[in-house]
Order: sequence, then C-alpha cells, then structure tokens
Amino acid sequence: MKRIYLSLITAIALIGSVYADRLVIKGSDTLGAKLVPQLAEQFKAGHSGTTFDIAAEGSTTGIAAIIDGTAQIGMSSRRAKSSEVGAASAKGINMKPTVVAYDGIGVIVNANNPIKSLTKKQVEQIFTGDIADWSAVGGSGGKISIYTRNTSSGTYSEFKELAMKKRDYASGSQKMAGNEQIAAEVGKNPAGIGYVGMAYTKAGGVKVVSIDGAVPSVKSVQDHSYPYWRPTFYYTNGDPSGLAKEFLDFTLSSAGQKIVAQVGFVPIK
Amino acid sequence: MFKRVIYFMAAASFILGGVAAQAQDAGALLDLLVRKKLISDQEAEEVRSELTKQFTETPAGKWKMSTPITELEIYGDARLRYEYRGGETAGNVSQPNDWLERSRERYRLRIGLRGTLADDWFFGVRLETSQSNRSTNVTFGDDTSTTSGSTTTINGPFAKNSDGINVGQAYLGYKGFRDITLTGGKMPNPLVTTLMVWDADINPEGVAEQWKHTFTLNFGQSGLAQAEQSYSKDNKALAISKPASEPWSLKIDVFANFAQFVYDNTNPDNPVGPQKTTDGRLNPRIDAWMMAWQVGARFNFPKNYYFQVAPVLYNYAGNGDTFNVHFVGGDPSLSNSASLATNQSGINSLLFLEVPAEFGFKIGELPVRIFSDFAVNFNADDRARAAGFPDEGDQRYAFMIGAGIGQLKAKGDWQIQAWYQYTDQYAVDPNLVDSDIWDSRVNMKGVAVTGGYAISDAVIFNLTWGYAWRVDKRLGTGGTGDIGINPLDDYQIFQADLNVRF
Repeated sequence: MKRIYLSLITAIALIGSVYADRLVIKGSDTLGAKLVPQLAEQFKAGHSGTTFDIAAEGSTTGIAAIIDGTAQIGMSSRRAKSSEVGAASAKGINMKPTVVAYDGIGVIVNANNPIKSLTKKQVEQIFTGDIADWSAVGGSGGKISIYTRNTSSGTYSEFKELAMKKRDYASGSQKMAGNEQIAAEVGKNPAGIGYVGMAYTKAGGVKVVSIDGAVPSVKSVQDHSYPYWRPTFYYTNGDPSGLAKEFLDFTLSSAGQKIVAQVGFVPIK
Repeated sequence: MFKRVIYFMAAASFILGGVAAQAQDAGALLDLLVRKKLISDQEAEEVRSELTKQFTETPAGKWKMSTPITELEIYGDARLRYEYRGGETAGNVSQPNDWLERSRERYRLRIGLRGTLADDWFFGVRLETSQSNRSTNVTFGDDTSTTSGSTTTINGPFAKNSDGINVGQAYLGYKGFRDITLTGGKMPNPLVTTLMVWDADINPEGVAEQWKHTFTLNFGQSGLAQAEQSYSKDNKALAISKPASEPWSLKIDVFANFAQFVYDNTNPDNPVGPQKTTDGRLNPRIDAWMMAWQVGARFNFPKNYYFQVAPVLYNYAGNGDTFNVHFVGGDPSLSNSASLATNQSGINSLLFLEVPAEFGFKIGELPVRIFSDFAVNFNADDRARAAGFPDEGDQRYAFMIGAGIGQLKAKGDWQIQAWYQYTDQYAVDPNLVDSDIWDSRVNMKGVAVTGGYAISDAVIFNLTWGYAWRVDKRLGTGGTGDIGINPLDDYQIFQADLNVRF
C-alpha cells in the first residue's frame, strides 16, 4: 500500500515539474502566427527546458481558454467582451489584460488596383455592401470581392467596431482563416479587398490604401493618428506568476519589443 | 495613486452617467487621457477592464442587446378602474324607461418595447391585456365560470380565464427618406383624429406613409417674409437661428398621412363549393380595406399660440366576410332583442370626411386647448336606404367641440377637459368610435367631462363622467356596446382611474 502512495506522489511531482516548464498559450492568429512563436524561440534560448504549446485559432479561443483554465496566457487582438468578462467573473476568473504591442489594421487591395486611398465612409460602405462596384469609389469598375477574417477572429470584430460602426459584413464577403490567407486571396484577385494586421501588409501582390490620408506606420499607430489602430493583449487570470510572468516580462522588455518591431507590429514604447 | 484618481473619475462617470451610457462615457474619458499622455494605454486598459467587470455585475450588464439595435425603450402603463355605465330603454318598448346598469372593477396592463435599428429602421411591440380591439381592460371576477353550449364550468374565484396577454402592437418602419416615415404592421394610429371617430385603444393593421415638413417664416422689420426650411427624421423641429431684430416668426408643420388598413380578411378567397349567401345575397370574396388620406398643418405662432387642422377622407374597399351585411343599427319599432339582433357593424356606403382641429395657447404656464371635430358621410343616403330608412339619409353628420386646461406631465399637474359630442346614425363607422363615451354607439349626443391629477410623475388619478341622449327618435342607436339596449334612449358613464405609467 505504501508503495502505491509513493508511486502516486512521485507521479504527481513529475507531472508538476513538467507543467512548470511548459507554457500553454492560446488565442489570436494575428499574434500567434508569427510574433509569439518568435518570442517563444528567443525566450527558450535563456530558459532551457521550457516548452511552449501555442494554438493560434482566434482571440475568442484565447479568452475562452483563460476562462476555462486551459491556458496560462490568452492572446487577443481585441478587448474581452462584457459577456466574456461576465462569464469569467462568474467563475471567479479575473480577466487581466496586458498590452503587449500595437497593431494597425491595413486595408489592402490587389497591387494592380488603381485605387490608392479611401475614406473611412467608403471603407464602411464597401465592407457592409452598400458599395458593390469599384467604380463607385473611383476605381476602374467591376464587382468588389471582399475578404474578411472568420468570426472567431478578434480582427473580425475589431474591424467591425473600428471601421464599420458595428454593422454586419456584406453577405457575399468571404471568410478566411488568417491574415496570410486574406493577403494571398487579394493578391490573386484584381477586384479583391481585405484587411490584415500590419505584419502582413508587405505580402506579395497587394498594396495598402491610405485611409483619410493616413497609412499604418509605427508613428501613426503609436500616436494613434491612423484610424484603424488597436492594442493587442495577453490575457491572464489576475496578475501572472511563474513562467507566464517571466514570458510576459520578456515580451515587454526591450529585447521582446525589438522582436515585436521586427515581426511588423508596433512596439508599445 | 494617479491611477486610482483616474479610476475614481471613470467610475464616477460610469455611475453618474447612467447605466446605458457609462461604457461609452468612460471609454471616451480614458481615450482622452491617453491622448493627453496623462495615463498609458496599459493603465487605461486596466481601468477599462475593471469597469467592464463591474458593469457585468449590474442588472443592466446582464442584458445582451443585438448589434443592429441602436436605441431601445421599455414603456407601458398599468391602470385600476372603477366604472359605472348605464342605459335606459325607450318609452315605447317592452320594459319601457328601464335602466340597465353595469358596475365593474377593472384593470389593464400594457407593456411595450420600441426602438431604432441601424440604417434608419425602427420597430415596436406592445403586449396588452384583453383581446378586444377597443379595450385593454380586464374585469375582476368576471371569469368565475365559463359556458360552452349547455355546459357550464366553474372556474372558481380569482380565475385567470380573462387575464390573457395579447399582442396589441407589432410594427416596423423606415425613416431613411427625408421627411418620410413608412410603417407596416399592427401600429399606433398614424392619423390625427379624435374619440368621435377612433377609439384610442385601436391599433390598426396595414401600412401607413407619413410625411412632415416644417417651414419657418420670419417676419423682419422691413415687413418682408423670409422662408426658412428645416426637417428632422425624428419629427423634431431643428432650431434655426434668427436675427435678433425680427419681431416674430411663424413655424408651420405641414404633414400628410396616408393609410391602407386591412379591415377584414376573407379566407379562403376561393372556397370549395358554391359561394355562400346571406339573406339571399352572395357573400363577397374580397378583403375589406380601409383607406385614409389626410393632409394637415399646424401653425405655431409666437407666444405659444397654435392652430392645427387635419382633414382626412376615409373610404372602404371590398366587404370582407364579417362586415359584409348592410348596417341597420337597430329599429325602435322592434322589440329590444330583435332590434339588437339587426346588423350593427356593416361598413357599406361609408365615404366620410373628418376634420379635426385644435387651437391652443397658454395662460401663464397653463396650457389651454379648444378642440373640435366634424365628420360627414357622403354616402349616407345609400347607407340609410340599405338600413331600411330611406328618409333618414340626412343623418350624415357628426361633430364635437370642447375645451381643456392644464396638463399631466409631472407631479402636481392637473387637467380638466369638457366637450359636447353629436353623432348621426350614418355619419361614421360604428366599429371604430370610442367604446366608453357613448358606449360604442352612433345616433347619440351628449356631454363629457374628464379631470386628472398627477399624484407623482408616474401616477395619475382620473375621473370621467358623461351623459348622452338619442339623437333621432325614429332610429336605433347603432353599434355593439356594453349596454344591451337598442335604442339606447339615455346613457350615463362614470369612471375613476388610477394610472401608473412607466
């Protein structure tokens, strides 16, 4: 009997030590596709034995993971909704946001599209379907093809809030799994338009249009003069501790923020 | 420490600003503080997160509203009423000069939800007690038993058989065109009218188109008039600055209301077998529609004087399957029960004009209004002939005139209104006239007085009294009322109401 107890205690200790060096991060594709994996690689260089489990399936999944306790850090490209905060609060979870980087959501069109700039009103009209032909905004004509993120994406809802007065997307819009897919589709389709995080605006075959004369840049996002800027977050259950705190501190450090800039996001300082 | 001050300020705006507006107010404040570099984005996010958490713990925070809703209002009222109404038979019928009296304790409840949606759409829903089209009242203790055929079921005291909840209003509309409101569904009456023609509880079904435009005429010292125009989608006039030298201005609200109401749907339109007949006549297979065309203007003079007139022409198309029998409206030569059994609701030969008008001013802060209405049925000759009284075609007019003083907007307010009302037998639609004043009847004339006092901003006590006589002694008093007498020679009503509005 004693042996059984001893084996159990040993197993629990082993599992605990393994979990202690493993960081589970879930959430935003915007953050999780490039930025966080590169931060993780750099972090591991100074923390041998640390492993990361990163799942980038949209901000909604990251916030849900904090609420149900299946991740230590939830990546999000939007603020938690009041319904999510309420659900967390009911379970005794304290959703704590930490701003880790800024992002500008760039509106992209095919590189061959003559359009160079749009107004905020035109962007709203295009993505809601009020305007369906490029000729209505000074283009060379043809039906506009709209590419958006899927509904679990933080960028999907953030763009509705920033650019569309919370109205619904046009019924014919095509929903893509990530920024790269949107950039790829717009790059192939001369009539395409979409939006991507700043890190993806330099994809081949696309170009960024200015919005009311402003383009997404480090300066315009940091001084908030570009209209479609947004903070991006790590969500934790209260103040982070242990490995999660170390990784968060690393992200906010000058070394971490240097990676933020290298990947195409805007550092917070 | 500074963050605590910011948090306190944001929380104060959160609480003092009202639950609905707080998130935006606090968010705007935080954005401003970030732009001024007084706090960092991180500090703003922490405060915002804490406020969101607090908001979700409030009752309002537990409500979730769909994105297209831009504004939502819950409203309604509850009323307790004591009512007496009585009617006297004529002197030449069985049981002559006998009074039938009803004394009832009643309540009503109306709960509504109305709001605006994105892109200039709007909607409204209202739930009401009572299935009646002209009443929302439920009578206490009237459902202790129910009878179906020869079987009587005892429901017991305080039964709930009468206490139903019904959809009183369900409509949607669009205000996207300048000056125009389009509405469809079961809607609040879009017409300017009075109790002489329309019971206030009726919510007609169909579609309505409304247009309203405000003209402002400024009369300067030179004597030349300048015309200015304003408009507003929500029908609220926009303020227009005027030169200080101008002595006065005239603002004119010109409006037009058009309505197409489905009065009675015939179903099926093409039944199997031969077409049904009533009294040897083929029953029509077409729906009955009520059409209304109204144009009007309200002249707003300086010093709170105004005058409004809004003529409206009504016409009926089709007969439906409920109102397709010719109106008779009772017959004094028959027994009371036989007279009641004649048709009281036919809508044949109704093409009538109504002209409601109102003149108002203020004595000090006290509003005074003089109001009137006039109606004439151009097809009264045909209606009288079909009723079996070909010599009574001149019974085509209805009118009312009255005055009111005071208002019931806030605690301590009071109001008194009195009017005289006269309605010929063939003047207006007996299915629409007010169900209280003159017991849903036509061929009646009399006086009514109402008085109200606002006990609080939300609670109003009202008294109503009315007395009426038959107009033409050769005719019945048409219409389906609560008093089982036709002709109704004399009629009296008294109501005491305690209203709670929210």
